[in-house]
Formats: sequence, structure tokens, C-alpha cells
Amino acid sequence: MKRVLSNKWSIMVFVLPTVLFFTYIVIIPIFKTLWYSLLNEIPAKIGDASHFTGLEHYITMFTPGRRNPFPGAVVNSLLYAALSIFVQLPFSMLIALILANGAKGESMYRNTFFIPVVISSVVVSLLWGRLYKGLLPQIFESLNWEVPKNGFLGNPQTKIWLSFVPSLWQYVGYHMLLMYGALKSIPEDVIEAATVDGASGAKLAFRIQIPMIKPMLKVCLSFSLIGSFKLFDTPWVLLERSNRDLPALSMYVEMFTNHNYSYASAQAIFIVLECLVFTVALNILFRDRDERNLRRRKELT
Amino acid sequence: MKKLLAVVLAVAMLLGMVSIASAEEPVVLKVASIWSAETEANRAPMLKTLAEFEEAHPEIKLEVEWYEANAWKDQGETLALSDSLPDVFYWNAGGVLWNLVSSGDILALNDYLTDDIKDQLIGGALANMTFDGKIYQLPYTNACSCLYCNTELFDKYGVKIPETLDELYAAVEAFKAAGVTPMALGGGDKWPTNMYTDLITLRFVGDEAARACYYKTEGATFMTQDWIDGMAAFKKLIDLGAFPDNAIELTRDESEVPYFNGEIPMYVHGQWFSGSLSAEMQQKVKAVKFPAVGKGYDNQWMGGPAEGFSVAAYTQHPDEAFIACQFLAQHQSDNGFECGAGLPAWKTEVQCGNPVMNQIAQQVAEGDSLLLWGNTALSGADADLIGATVYDVLAGTITPEQWCEDMETIFGK
Repeated sequence: MKRVLSNKWSIMVFVLPTVLFFTYIVIIPIFKTLWYSLLNEIPAKIGDASHFTGLEHYITMFTPGRRNPFPGAVVNSLLYAALSIFVQLPFSMLIALILANGAKGESMYRNTFFIPVVISSVVVSLLWGRLYKGLLPQIFESLNWEVPKNGFLGNPQTKIWLSFVPSLWQYVGYHMLLMYGALKSIPEDVIEAATVDGASGAKLAFRIQIPMIKPMLKVCLSFSLIGSFKLFDTPWVLLERSNRDLPALSMYVEMFTNHNYSYASAQAIFIVLECLVFTVALNILFRDRDERNLRRRKELT
Repeated sequence: MKKLLAVVLAVAMLLGMVSIASAEEPVVLKVASIWSAETEANRAPMLKTLAEFEEAHPEIKLEVEWYEANAWKDQGETLALSDSLPDVFYWNAGGVLWNLVSSGDILALNDYLTDDIKDQLIGGALANMTFDGKIYQLPYTNACSCLYCNTELFDKYGVKIPETLDELYAAVEAFKAAGVTPMALGGGDKWPTNMYTDLITLRFVGDEAARACYYKTEGATFMTQDWIDGMAAFKKLIDLGAFPDNAIELTRDESEVPYFNGEIPMYVHGQWFSGSLSAEMQQKVKAVKFPAVGKGYDNQWMGGPAEGFSVAAYTQHPDEAFIACQFLAQHQSDNGFECGAGLPAWKTEVQCGNPVMNQIAQQVAEGDSLLLWGNTALSGADADLIGATVYDVLAGTITPEQWCEDMETIFGK
């Protein structure tokens, strides 16, 4: 076995089918989409080079105008990403810490928080839709509070924020479980040693537990960021039909409602680039910190 | 004895094989239909149509997939991209149909449509389904939108059913004063708002000018005082509080519930809505043409044959698919009209049991013209724009003037 694995040709033979498959279903479509995004509007089936228009669609995408929702959609996706990182993940972490530190009913709470993750996003959106259109206005009215003009999901000031809530709520359990698993894998003796040294509560969490699950935090951050830029289902179900309040929604409407295949391709490429840039930035950020820490440790020793 | 048994079994097996070989396998066609919900007015007629087809054409087997209307629109567009539309499928006419025609997904039916078949259709039935002389769809219904009035509520609050726009404003104010929401509207789906704006602007602009704009005829423009006045009239209804406070976040389905419950007196909707009314509501509801403005366009209607069945260009069985397409369109036209789900697009002897549908059929027959709705006549981004802009007017984020400016962009100005 060792001899087989040390042979580079053998490794290549084993890896080749996966590489070919991945190239066929991911890499080639991305480049094909990039090519379409540089063409004039034509049926996507044709892809004729004589329609080459260069970066025109990319310029249109970011040209300000009342009827160009894309720049606003990008801002909305950044807002959602910020909410995910600064609200959803800390909340998930808080629950994970409480449960991992041996809260009463740990198993029951862990499963309860995870239940929304296994429910279809469409079902979750419909449930929240009922809440926004039915229960919430009733509560407001009973408390003599003013319901926003046009309702919670019709008011331009509230609708996008409220459409974020269901998916933020839904995936708290997902991140919680990842963090909980990582926290549980910290060796007991480390926790005991810290406790003996007088660390407890917040100190134990911030000085010992959270730094030790940093690789998992990086995974959660990556998932959260990429998920934010790709968010589609919840606002699609909750908000008005064919809304273009997020980049993925805009891309879908341009592609399937407006039949602007090339323009939609440009938006798809932007989403891919956006995910790529932020993922690389995240890696650099964590690597820099890791390297700095390593250097500091070396200096100390 | 054993030998005899073996011989009998062998003979039986042989006969079985012969009968299997001689029985002709039916041609299997995939069919996509909307009306997945049991409550849809067209659902029962479609089931009846399918049963009739099964009996009339045992040589063709239909495998039907049911969809919700909007879901099928999205699904159909997606399937078209990979040349995998079903053999026969429901689709809208006008610009929506043109999208699939232009991408080569739909079979032209001219070679199959004999004069005898065409003669069975009502006059002008194929106008919205014909492009460059080629016919791509067969209609199963004739459509129109009108004002549905719940007479019980009008009587209860002593309000007159409006015949003019001023009477409509007065009716709205009277109902508001009585604490009743005057008109139902599901603005979240966008197209229900187009039902209102198309009719109101038609009264100000007229069929000819509106047709020129919706079909993007050279020289057409939205930048006229008539278009602004039409949209301003709609804005006035909003400002008077004609619609529910949260009309903009409601789907069409959600908006219908209070009307069905007898809580809202007026609703502008398509003729198919009459088929969704309960037997009890059918006795209370009166369908009338949209109130007059007095500019000479008061007997003009929005609608026309706007939905039908098409055949995929890449079907393996075009002959059988056409037979199915014609059968479904013609029988659904009869069955739908019989139970009050729609006006017939084919000449028929069938009588409708729905009094509301009969009122509509009679008035439309006496109408001056029928113009396809803006969001159906226009296609792609233009259709999306007319939905998005009326949504914005309803939300109060743009003015009627800005609506005209935005719509003018469809001419590339």
C-alpha cells in the first residue's frame, strides 16, 4: 500500500476521475458562464463569438439608476453577511458554550436548536411569512403600536431585514452544532488545568475554549460568508414575486424571467468572484494571525 | 397427468406471449398542466378532459405532471434551457409564449391545423399565439378582467354599484367610512395589480394607444397625459384607502380569502375567478365592466385568449402530441365553460351553470374590443418592468409620472 501511494502515477490515476468530473461540472461551467457574460444578449444555447461586447454587462451592473437594483442587492448581501458574522455566529457560539459546559438538558436543547436546520427553507419561510402577515400585526395592534405602512413585508424599510431573520434563525443550530462538536473535542485535561489555574466562565471561554476551536470558527465563518452571498430561497418566498433585493435573486430574475442570459451570467460571475475574494481574504486573515502567533511562540521559547 | 399439465402450461405461456406481442403499446406523452391545487376552478374540468381523452384515444397515454401556475412558469423556463420541455404543456400566450418560440422550443402547428379545425375556434382566437404567420399554441379559454361586486355588502351599506370612476371613488369612501376595506388586491404577486392598472389606464388611453405601447409599435409612447391620468386615478384609489393596508405583501391567494368570506365588496380579477366562487357566493356576486371615464373607451376590455397548450419542438411523437394538444385545448374549453371556470375559446353548444360567468360572457360579447394584458403582451424584461413599476406605485415609491418615464424605457429611450 505504501509503495502504491508513494508512486505519483498511482496517485494521479486515483485522483484523475474526480478531477475530470469536478472540471466538467464546476470549472468548465464557470468559464462558459464567463464567456457568456462577455457576449451580447443572445439565447444561451448559441454562444456566438460575433456578439462579443467585452465588459459592457459588468459596467451596466454597477451603473446607478432607479431601475438598476443590483448595487443595492450587493449592499443587502453585505448587510446579511455582517448580520451572520456579528449576530448569528456569536449567538451560535454562546449556545454551544453553554451546552458544551454541561448545561442541564444538554442533549434535548442541542436537538431542539438543530431541528430548524432539517426543515426545508421554503417551509421555514412560509411559517415566518404567516408570522409577519398574521401574528405580528395582531400583537402590534393589541399593544397599540403602529404596524409599518404596507405591512412588515411590504415596507421598503423593514422588508429586507425581516427577510433575513428566518435564515439567520434557521442556521443558528447548524453553526451551534459545529462549534459544540469542536468544543467537546477539547481534551478534558486542558479544561481541568485551566480550572485549577482559576479560569472559569468567560475567562475559560475566551482564553481557552474559543482559541482552541479556531479552525472550526474559520469553517463557520466561511460557510456563513459564502451562504450570505448566495442567499436566495427565504427572500424569494417571503418577499414580492420576482424581487431583486439580493444578487442571487437578481441573477435568477434576469435569467429566467427577463431572459437576459448574458447579463445574468455576468451577475453569476460577480457572485463567484465575491465568494472567492472573501474566502481568500478570510484565509489570509487567519493565516496571518496563525503565523504571528507561531512567531511569538518561537520568540518566547 | 404431469405431461398434460406441462403441455397446458406451455400452451398458456405461448398464448400469453402472443397476446403481449399483438397488443400495441400506447404512445406515451408527457403533459405539464397547472391547477395543482384542488381549489383551482380549472382543476375539475381538466380531470374530466383527461378522462375523456383516455376514453377517446387509448392509443395515446398521457403522463400528467401538475404544477402551481407560477412554479410551472419558472420550471418551464428552466426545462426549455435544456431542451427538455414535456411533449404537450400549458403555457401563456403573447410575449411569454414568444420567449420560448424565439429560442426554438415550440413546434409550429400550421401543418396540422386544417381549416376545419380553425373554423371551430372563435374569431381571432389565435392572434396572441401567432408569430410571423406560424401558430404555436391552441387556446383553451378566452379571458378578460372585470369588477366583481358583492351585492350583499353593497345592499347592506346602501352603496351603488359603480358605473363611473367618480361613483367608484364614492363607493370606496362610503365603504371606508363604514369600516369596510373596499377592494381586494394581492400586490405581492405583482400581476394582480396589473389587472387594476391595465383597466384603469385603458379607460383613459383607449385600446389603440395602449395596444401600440404593449406591442411596442413604432411611434408608441407612454409619455402622454392620458397615461399619467390613468395611473393617477389608480394612485387616487390607493390614497383613498381602497385596498387593504398590507395589500402589497399579500399573494393573490391570500387576497382572495376575505373576498370569499364576504368581507370585501369589490375585486378586479380575471374571468376565471368566477369559477372559484362558491355556489352561495355566485348568487351574491355581480360581475360588471370596469367603471366608465367618459373618454369614449368605456366598453373596451382587457383580455383575450391568453393561455393554451403547446407542443415541444423536440417531441418524439409530433402527430400524437398535436392530437393531444388539440383535444386538451378544445375539451378544456368546453368543460371549463360548463363549470364556470372560463369563457370558451372554441365554438360550443355547452351551457354554463355559473351565473357570474354568464354575466361576463354576455358583456364581453357586447364589448368593443379585447386587449391582452400588458404583462402578457410584453415579454421578458419588459413584462417584468410593468409588474415592478406598478408594484412601486402601489408601494408609493414612484409617482404616476415616474411610472410613465420608467415604462418609456421599453422603447429604448
